[in-house]
Amino acid sequence: MKFEGTRNYYLGPELGEIVNIAIAMEKPLLLMGEAGTGKTRLAFEIAGAFGVTMEEARCKSTFKGEELCYVYDAVLRLNDSRFGSGESGRNVNDIWDYLRFGPIGRAFLAEDRRVLLIDEIDKTDSDTQDNLLDVLEDGSFIIREINHKVSACKKPVIIITSNAKRELSDPFLRRCFCHYIPFPGAEEIAIIVRLHFPDISGQLLDACLTEFYRLREGGFEKPPATAELLDWIGALRSSAETSPGSGGSLRHVGTLLKRSQDLLKFRGQGQRNPWR
Amino acid sequence: MIAFIQQLRKAEIPVSVRYVLEFYDGIRRGLAPDLDRLFLLARLVFVKRVEHYDAFERVFAAFFLGKDSGQMPQWEETFAGKPFEEWLREQVAKGAISLDELRTFELDELLKRFWETMLKQEGEHHGGNRWIGTGGRSPFGHSGSSGGGVRVYGKGLHGTAQKVIDRRNYMNYSGKSALAGTNVGQALAALKNLKRAGPETELEIDETIHRTAKNGGEIELVFTKELRDRLKLVVLLDNGGYSMEPHLQLVKEVFGKMRDRFKDLKYYYFHNCLYGTVYEDMRRTVAVAWETLVSRGADTHLIVIGDANMAPSELMAANGSLYSHTHDRRPGIEWLKQLRAAFPASVWLNPIPRQYWAGESVTITHVGRIFPMEDLTLAGIKNGVQILSGGEY
Repeated sequence: MKFEGTRNYYLGPELGEIVNIAIAMEKPLLLMGEAGTGKTRLAFEIAGAFGVTMEEARCKSTFKGEELCYVYDAVLRLNDSRFGSGESGRNVNDIWDYLRFGPIGRAFLAEDRRVLLIDEIDKTDSDTQDNLLDVLEDGSFIIREINHKVSACKKPVIIITSNAKRELSDPFLRRCFCHYIPFPGAEEIAIIVRLHFPDISGQLLDACLTEFYRLREGGFEKPPATAELLDWIGALRSSAETSPGSGGSLRHVGTLLKRSQDLLKFRGQGQRNPWR
Repeated sequence: MIAFIQQLRKAEIPVSVRYVLEFYDGIRRGLAPDLDRLFLLARLVFVKRVEHYDAFERVFAAFFLGKDSGQMPQWEETFAGKPFEEWLREQVAKGAISLDELRTFELDELLKRFWETMLKQEGEHHGGNRWIGTGGRSPFGHSGSSGGGVRVYGKGLHGTAQKVIDRRNYMNYSGKSALAGTNVGQALAALKNLKRAGPETELEIDETIHRTAKNGGEIELVFTKELRDRLKLVVLLDNGGYSMEPHLQLVKEVFGKMRDRFKDLKYYYFHNCLYGTVYEDMRRTVAVAWETLVSRGADTHLIVIGDANMAPSELMAANGSLYSHTHDRRPGIEWLKQLRAAFPASVWLNPIPRQYWAGESVTITHVGRIFPMEDLTLAGIKNGVQILSGGEY
């Protein structure tokens, strides 16, 4: 397997190599970086490029890890045992009818090699991450209720993303290949914009990028990222603007700055400084 | 290779045997045919935290992209070369590894032992600081397996690796960099480890069974709310003098952003040293009684942020306070000791970088003996959080 990117997605040469190294070494690839650097998108692109199915786990803070492997629906079984399973065809005596597999379970059980995306792992707490460690490393987990071991037929390609909302534990990091995606520079972002707006004029693009990077440097609470830039350019184009405006009179600035505090700051009415 | 690993460790990048073997494995699989890919492979294997990227790039550049190198090393030599052979001979001579074992052991197993020894002997110098040399055949007949696909001759590409390194993209993320606008997010991430999070609702099985049995089999589900452990935190800020001002703003920004995560977050102010009173406001007019502060110690974490840099008399002398109106007779150091005793979970964060502590003032050392002290850098904050959470570090 060699990953070379797809048509609608700009893959930096560095990132492409990293993906290939991680696949060759069969290690989970942990991608970190601020929102809008295409971390999650990458997993979809890998799945698309190889034409394989993707299993997606979007993490929540309430996750304990096990539900990503399987869920044993004790309540349903209890209910069925009391009221009967009706037309559902479930057999109360067969625990397998009450086991549901999560994304990790499905990826392990599948006969083909899959791409497993574990999105925003930093939302879970460190116990959960530790639980996931062994599962991902061994390519197997145990269904505790019946002491049955599920092993991966083919180890999936594992992509994990983190927005660094919370620190990940050292043992977790040790077992992954970690890559921090820096925010793309002007050259790269111009390529990305052109993928989405192939006919944009060079003049408009340059002007937009100049303002965009100025805003990013402006110390806003939520600096605009790639997604905001694309929205903004889309808005400029749909209203047939030929220039983005400049300084305090940027057009459609609401597409770039989302927080009301940031907008106030932009308009020069920032909060009173509580320090004076 | 050994020197490279030593350099990494000197740059405070943790390296384990596991990484070395992984790196070796990657090279054997032909994943590093040129310096660019070698750079990526090494970074993926050895560097796990963005704080270390910058340091790693420095070490890598010094090693592989120096003026006279830019050549691919010969892997056979670097992994299973002279130091390894010497070690092996020594082990056999000592009887630690018998000749029989030698025949049955895989090269991987031998290398693992070799590197375990190497990593233990920290600081000891083995071989030159360059690990490019001429290959030699192992007398023990292992070179056959070690040679398999390992030997790579590079073209000396000063390509993207050099470019990436020159940009120093990761400088602001370095653990040694001071707290600043760009890395506030990381500091936040560290602080979030202070609180515990977990699922809010859970099926309470025992109670469910109990009630269901009581109901004669009519199922009754009982859910409980899992206890959420929310933290109380007191931050004591030294706002005396201009030196502290830029730090104060950042610190407040950082803690303010996570206000909702704490059950209770209070800032108090003091000037230079503590003499029994802290203040609620920045101008230090509204005093808070010492007893009130100290009584909270049992269930509250304490972070003191200050440079601990004062005249020795302020700390040591009775009547040391700068302000005559406090009429306090006990020296500052006594008050600090009392505070530390009252708050088992406490840490002192110093905006002065650690390497200047000793030179700056003797009082820093004194205060550092009372409170665990870290500097106000990303790494320092992380250590501080560990100390507060009672973890080892």
